[in-house]
Amino acid sequence: MPTRFLALALVVPALAVIVLLFIVPLAASVVGAFEVGGGYGLGNFTKTFEFYAPDIAFTVLIVALSTGLIGIFAVAIGGYLTLGENPRTVAALRWLYRWPLFIPFIVVGQIFRTFIAKNGPVNNLLVNAGLIAPFDAVSLLDWRGIVLAFVWKQTPFVALLLAGAMASIDRGTIEAARNLGASRLRILMEIVVPQVATTLLVGLILSFVTMMSVLSVPLMINAQSPTMLTVDIAFRINAYGDYGVANALGLVSLLITASVAVIYLRVSMRERT
Amino acid sequence: MALLELDRLDVGYGTTRVLDRIDLAIDRGEFVALLGSSGCGKTTLLRAIAGFATPSAGAIRVAGRDITRLPPDKRGVALVFQSYALWPHMTIDQNIGYGLKLKRRPREEIAGRVAELSAMLGLAGLGTRKPSQLSGGQRQRVALGRALAIDPQILLLDEPLSSLDARIRQSVRHEIRALQQRLGITAIHVTHDREEAMVMADRIVILDRGRIAQEGTPQEVYNHPASAFVAAFMGAENRLELKGRAVDGHFAIEAGPAHAACAIAVDGRVLAGGTVDARFRAEAACLIADGDGDGDPPAGLDLFGRVEHVTYPGGLWRHAVRVGDTAILVDAARAVAPESRVRVRVPAEALFLFEGRGGDVRDQRVPAPEL
Repeated sequence: MPTRFLALALVVPALAVIVLLFIVPLAASVVGAFEVGGGYGLGNFTKTFEFYAPDIAFTVLIVALSTGLIGIFAVAIGGYLTLGENPRTVAALRWLYRWPLFIPFIVVGQIFRTFIAKNGPVNNLLVNAGLIAPFDAVSLLDWRGIVLAFVWKQTPFVALLLAGAMASIDRGTIEAARNLGASRLRILMEIVVPQVATTLLVGLILSFVTMMSVLSVPLMINAQSPTMLTVDIAFRINAYGDYGVANALGLVSLLITASVAVIYLRVSMRERT
Repeated sequence: MALLELDRLDVGYGTTRVLDRIDLAIDRGEFVALLGSSGCGKTTLLRAIAGFATPSAGAIRVAGRDITRLPPDKRGVALVFQSYALWPHMTIDQNIGYGLKLKRRPREEIAGRVAELSAMLGLAGLGTRKPSQLSGGQRQRVALGRALAIDPQILLLDEPLSSLDARIRQSVRHEIRALQQRLGITAIHVTHDREEAMVMADRIVILDRGRIAQEGTPQEVYNHPASAFVAAFMGAENRLELKGRAVDGHFAIEAGPAHAACAIAVDGRVLAGGTVDARFRAEAACLIADGDGDGDPPAGLDLFGRVEHVTYPGGLWRHAVRVGDTAILVDAARAVAPESRVRVRVPAEALFLFEGRGGDVRDQRVPAPEL
């Protein structure tokens, strides 16, 4: 009996931290989403879908598109690091690609805000190169800017995970395919990527969830409507002190990320059986 | 004309030279074993033939065509990897058929060829499984099937049996050999296992530090080792230093404190005289207990010693015998008690003599007797 008590006592601090700092706030905000006036109802959700349906769609589309692009670029970078035959370019890429990992989202937003503005360096370069006329210069500070910033910031993270996984697969499986005549692209897509599919999926899902929660990038690059849910949540609270709708918006974004998590769980279950 | 020719081939990584002027010709349908201890360059040689290691000098020719700089898939060779390197995400049928898929063969043709190979290799009915669901022996056969599917001119086997357990290995040796003979395919097999090479190959090529130490049929390398290294590698681990000189077709060994004088037919060996390195196998010598009659053993060198330990590895009793200041191992059908004085008769044809002290042989010490 005393050992059992001791075991329980040892678990209590950790358990208390989880309950107090994680479960209670989450439950409070879920409950808060259903609080209308003094009672409970779906009023906050009615308002949420009435005002913010385009923003929900905008958020899902932007994050999904960014995730897709991140996947493509991460596979390309990881693939080159694994299959590249020029040791110098491989070393250069290995050194370069990780930089954005160490730059905070707000700085990324700041960088892109100046970089792709109507009179920013990108447009100046295009105009000076004679590729576009000065009055054709458009600001990319809209959904394209957000996607650019997200992909730039998150690709290294997924590429880092992926390159590690690719480095640990049996080199023999790559050489066996080369021996039979597979091109490097086919080796990448048919031999390497399938063997690291779980890592790729985990990286993309973590990126998806991260991008869902970023406030600074959409705030700095695209504060007009439609915008992303994080901006709306901040706006409801800061401008109106409206925690009900903010909580409802939060619950919606939680459901979006949960749907992605379900895909991951399904795939990992299928792999285990 | 030989199917595969290696012409003064040098291969190195950075500044280290792994293979040094290798000359080798392999005929169509021949099964050649590349035998050597780890680090001797045997796998590098195989990888150079496959196109995964680039020679710094020399040429590789298949049927007269220079393939030295060709990519791996344009050489007509297929490699079976030590780890098998099966693709874990593909089924057995997909693994075997991948090479044909890359060659854009029609779907029915691929299915037919895969079925044919699966039947031949005893893999029928396993086609939809993944490699992780097969036993080691079955995986090995899938790897073989994948290599054979593209009809290579030359099959390269990189220690294909090393990850199988000892019991299965015995039968797979014979399976691979029988398959090779049935298909009439040319095969090069890398191994560090002497017995495996002996059982499987038509010809054995022994490599030592990047050079060919000897090549020949299993009987030749076993019974007529060309150097002390080859003798030791082929199991003649007992080593003595003897003094003698060549006298008309014979080598006269002087009597020493622990051995009698005798004359051994030179038999083509180049022996000037002075100190020679003598080697023989534990099972080739006869152990005669003091007081016992000769039992008429064949003529040869007589050594006098004392039994130190006796062990039973199976079949024969293995005696560690102290002869002068060296210990040797001698097998005998009957156990002789420790501390007995014994005579060891090494038959002339089982006694290998080499010029000099054999200073470069991998291990100078006679292995400690197993207890």
